[in-house]
Amino acid sequence: MENSIVKLRGYKDGLHLIINPKVSLPEIETAIQELLGEMNQPLAGTSIHIDMRPPIFTSEDLNNLETHLTEKYNLVVSGVNVFDEENESPILAAPATHSISQSLAADNHPDFEHAHIVRQMIRSGQTTSCLTGSVIVYGDVNPGGEVVAAGDIIVLGALRGSAHAGINGRLTSVIIAMELIPLQLQIGSYVNRPPIGEKPRGYPEIARVGAEDIIIVEEFIKF
Amino acid sequence: MGKVIVITSGKGGVGKTTSTANLGTALAMIGKTVVMVDADVGLRNLDVVMGLESRVVYTSMDVFEKRCELYKALVKDRRVEDLMLLAASQRNRKDDIKPEQMQEVCEKLKQEYDFVLVDSPAGIEQGFRNAAAGADEAIIITTPDLSAIRDADRIIGLLQNQEIQPINLVLNRLSPALVKKGNMISKNDVLDFLNIDLLGVVPEDTGVIASTNRGIPLVHNAGSQGAEAYMRIARRMTGQRVPIPEMREENFFSHVANWFSRNK
Ligand SMILES: Nc1ncnc2c1ncn2[C@@H]1O[C@H](COP(=O)(O)OP(=O)(O)OP(=O)(O)O)[C@@H](O)[C@H]1O
Ligand SMILES: [Mg+2]
Repeated sequence: MENSIVKLRGYKDGLHLIINPKVSLPEIETAIQELLGEMNQPLAGTSIHIDMRPPIFTSEDLNNLETHLTEKYNLVVSGVNVFDEENESPILAAPATHSISQSLAADNHPDFEHAHIVRQMIRSGQTTSCLTGSVIVYGDVNPGGEVVAAGDIIVLGALRGSAHAGINGRLTSVIIAMELIPLQLQIGSYVNRPPIGEKPRGYPEIARVGAEDIIIVEEFIKF
Repeated sequence: MGKVIVITSGKGGVGKTTSTANLGTALAMIGKTVVMVDADVGLRNLDVVMGLESRVVYTSMDVFEKRCELYKALVKDRRVEDLMLLAASQRNRKDDIKPEQMQEVCEKLKQEYDFVLVDSPAGIEQGFRNAAAGADEAIIITTPDLSAIRDADRIIGLLQNQEIQPINLVLNRLSPALVKKGNMISKNDVLDFLNIDLLGVVPEDTGVIASTNRGIPLVHNAGSQGAEAYMRIARRMTGQRVPIPEMREENFFSHVANWFSRNK
């Protein structure tokens, strides 16, 4: 069952509680109660991040929420991240967990509104780029092949080569592939080189800039 | 009219010359008319593998530079009818030839012969470009190792840019025992990576070196695994539907499934 007010997602850097702040605090608390009540594993003692979109809570509300989570559920709030709704990726509302100052600075250009579709695989020595939008590849990107986009990069196949999303500095850009075993990933100026010889994990994955300004890779689940 | 097929690989030493000699011989043995063009200028060895070295009088260079008629430069095979060789000059370098010259010669040859097989040099430079210049189709040779497969991928991209179509794959030197032990990349992994149609698999066969040294292509040694593999590939090249047998270590059902999915 999808809870429209709060969602819980597990990322590599820990649990994220994603909150829709357009409703009142008591409503949010009820929704959290429902969500956590449904879970069969106790979360007591775990640390979570709070992700939300604007309008941002007053610091008083935030404090109350933190206290609530700590007292009622014994959760440790390790950080609050805000992401900018207007600048969400058109393809999915990836919770971008970097701080708001970054995303606003980089997100002034509407450079991700359309997508360039590549209806073939990208082989060694071939490059495809879209400096004004996102790129979708209907096939594999092989080692030595490269995809560059101002926005997101979606590979409907195996990404074995290199991908550079958010080339103009849009840090909310994501890279999604059915099989993510790249030589190199870059989002904005952040670089991620996965260990060589990694085996495909058998499920789609998403890479994005995480809370600590590093590229994190995790299973791509419905957003 | 026949067709010009460039046999190429990117990486060196994977079996281009061996495959050209064996496929040329095999095609002629099943009644096709064939010319093999050695495009590895400066390092010619197709004539050696064919055992025709002593018969080479003129090379393609003499034809390009109009010192000799095309038909006079063609060397007849010693064993099979309707099999010819156009040798490469050893005194010249790869950039002494222009793609247009190669194209013109290929164009003429395919008027007269069913198959024109061009043995390409390794690499992606001038020599490769010359070899591919007159080609209608391509056969990519790769061995099951990562560097050969990546080079093959690069070459496929370049051939596609030239609108050479179809581009088929021959996987050479596969050793089922090593695949089974997990020490060799499997056929299916190679196909998944390169995403082109498989024309055939040639096993690792110690007979290849012996046949090279004697100047008698392996296909003359009927019954050997390598000879059988090349004969099957040649029949597929003539449009016959010949199943690709799985090598012992793989199971029968994946073979049937693969046959249906890869050969329509
Ligand atoms: N199936 C095979 N089994 C065993 N040995 C093989 C096989 N195929 C090729 N070889 C050996 O590999 C070596 C290289 O083969 P070959 O000369 O045909 O490659 P090539 O791709 O033409 O090389 P180059 O790039 O130098 O032109 C030769 O010694 C040959 O005998
Ligand atoms: Mg050779």
